[in-house]
Amino acid sequence: MANIKDIFVLIKQVPDQGAKAGINPDGTIDRAKAKRMLNPFDRYALQAALHMKKKYGGNVTAITMGPPLAVEILLEALEHGVDMCYLLTDKRLAASDTLATAYALHKVIKHAGHFDLIFCGLQTTDGDTAQVGPQIAERLNLSQATYCEDFKIEENKVIAKRVVEGGYEWIKMEPPALITVANSYHPLEYKSLRGARMVQQLLRNESEKAKYIKTINLDDISADPLKCGLKGSPTIVARTDKVSEIGGNCKIYQGAPVEKMVHELIVSTNVSEFLKT
Amino acid sequence: MNNETKTLKEIITPSNKEVIVIAEQLNNDVRPVTVELLGAGRDLANKLGGKLSCVLLGYELKSLPEKLISYGADIVYVADDPVLKNYQTLPYRRVIVDFLSGFPLPPHIVLLGSTTTGRDLAPRIAAHFETGLTADCTELDIGPYEHTSKGDPEKLGLYPGCLYAIRPSFGESLKARILGPWKNPQMASVRPGIMVPLQPDNNRKGEIKKIPVSLKPEDYKIELIEIVHEVSKSVNLSEADVIVSGGFGIGKPEGFEIMKELASCFENSAVGASRKIVDIGWVPYQHQVGQTGKTVRPKVYIACGISGAIQHRVGMSKSGLIIAINKDPDAPIFKFAHHGIVGDLYQIIPELIKEFKLNKAKEVRSLV
Ligand SMILES: Cc1cc2nc3c(=O)[nH]c(=O)nc-3n(C[C@H](O)[C@H](O)[C@H](O)COP(=O)(O)OP(=O)(O)OC[C@H]3O[C@@H](n4cnc5c(N)ncnc54)[C@H](O)[C@@H]3O)c2cc1C
Ligand SMILES: Nc1ncnc2c1ncn2[C@@H]1O[C@H](COP(=O)(O)O)[C@@H](O)[C@H]1O
Repeated sequence: MANIKDIFVLIKQVPDQGAKAGINPDGTIDRAKAKRMLNPFDRYALQAALHMKKKYGGNVTAITMGPPLAVEILLEALEHGVDMCYLLTDKRLAASDTLATAYALHKVIKHAGHFDLIFCGLQTTDGDTAQVGPQIAERLNLSQATYCEDFKIEENKVIAKRVVEGGYEWIKMEPPALITVANSYHPLEYKSLRGARMVQQLLRNESEKAKYIKTINLDDISADPLKCGLKGSPTIVARTDKVSEIGGNCKIYQGAPVEKMVHELIVSTNVSEFLKT
Repeated sequence: MNNETKTLKEIITPSNKEVIVIAEQLNNDVRPVTVELLGAGRDLANKLGGKLSCVLLGYELKSLPEKLISYGADIVYVADDPVLKNYQTLPYRRVIVDFLSGFPLPPHIVLLGSTTTGRDLAPRIAAHFETGLTADCTELDIGPYEHTSKGDPEKLGLYPGCLYAIRPSFGESLKARILGPWKNPQMASVRPGIMVPLQPDNNRKGEIKKIPVSLKPEDYKIELIEIVHEVSKSVNLSEADVIVSGGFGIGKPEGFEIMKELASCFENSAVGASRKIVDIGWVPYQHQVGQTGKTVRPKVYIACGISGAIQHRVGMSKSGLIIAINKDPDAPIFKFAHHGIVGDLYQIIPELIKEFKLNKAKEVRSLV
């Protein structure tokens, strides 16, 4: 029925900001020490890709750009049921901003072959720009739908529901298209038993692993190094300052009996005084 | 250090010094974020010594261009065409890309709102021109920048008149100043509700210029099939002194009743909601607080079972006193609330209601 068979999903490994490890006192992140995880927003994108495959058949390819360790999230994606992965890793990609990242990723996408749909997360928790998806769509000249929380295929067109100010809208697109998935989409389901078993085997057999996870560099995808990394990035972070949280330090009431906590809260906030101001 | 900076050569990248705001309109009015951007843009244009202009796309725009002039624009470029009635990525992209390509020297700065529209469109434009774009800024300024990094020697130099795009990063715990002076336009999207608009002045003079609309067949690859706008009315969130808001933590639609009861402990109060419980239909849209709902600023905001996602936060973070109730001690809401109780809202709220009622009774007694 649907002719939408080849689905790509873009996922990124990010520092786990919830874990205390690797968070410097000034609020910056020591990436070497920080715990790593799959970007939480990309979990929805991954689920969307897997749902598509379940509903309409086809293959899901996960793509990431990052340091060699980012292979961890690709293994995770395999456990959830993706069919194939690409890891773009190259020292010349260091310090890429969104433009340079999108440039490099669009080259990977071209290298990876035919696709009908690309899913991206809404944004990353470290870059936090929501720009990489649409910038890839521009480079590849694709239809795009951002902030989507629902989609289906009808007569070979992609129908997507966008979350917008004051409501939502439905749009219909010709594939190939790029979709960024809102965090109101279904959460990622449990790993599949089959996927988990397969990954166990891959971990024991490097050459098998290389069949499922293609590790590539800039030369493999004939990317222009001048458009990557620091050189290819039109923006730089000129400085960072720590900000005191707007609420100051939240005063937390925890672990005591409810009556006691509530009473303390009321005494120390003095809401009625506050309302007089 | 000082000696070294003196030897840096000054680099001025080509630009016409114009600051351009890309307007957003809906139902024949401009969105608030557009007049906010004009306020911020006016300041940048003055500092640069350039013009402030505004690009307005839509259909049957009537007196909107004049309105934009009254809010500070020197020039309004208008594309009025039936295909531009509602925002759609590809037609809007085409018109703006063509328009920006038409300048002999590129504009210095292009600003958009950090809305679902601005964040859809801005990256496409920036990628087309291969220029820098900073997302979701909360402050903007103009200033010089000395590039001394040895990493890319060809960029070494002193750049005057850079856009300082300042935005929160790492979960809002840091403020980053992001620059991209090597190429114009320098672009940024700006968070709604932060910049201060100018007082409208109907005597302001400005120019209105038409811009051409010529779409290509590939710009029709996306079709807008339905827009569902839930009109908000009657819930007085904007003027309430106290707002009690419920989130997915209420667990069931009936949970909203207890929010109402808590709100009723205060005069001039209202009940709010997170988008999640609006989306699943537990509460009507009129109650929604946040980026795609209402922006509120009550004296007291009580968030119950709300995780504190950024899209909720931007709608309520300016409240005077924020009290959060959440059973998860790591919930992001505790990062910006003033007071937080960790626990089950179904145990805490009844107790709060009891205490507030008791307090009120005491107050009344002390008055007589
Ligand atoms: C484009 C876009 C626009 C958006 N606009 C908005 C917007 O305008 N407003 C908005 O709110 N959101 C908006 N969102 C959604 C936003 O990202 C979050 O998904 C949403 O705010 C989460 O709602 P929540 O906190 O109620 O639910 P959840 O994130 O599920 O949080 C529920 C919380 O309740 C707590 N909890 C559970 N049970 C209990 C209990 N018994 N007692 C106490 N605590 C409990 C949990 O610990 C959790 O922290 C938008 C998203 C997108 C993509
Ligand atoms: N290094 C990367 N590798 C793979 N996908 C990425 C990368 N960076 C960003 N993305 C994708 O682009 C989305 C938006 O990222 P960002 O623009 O950084 O907020 C993410 O949710 C991912 O889907």
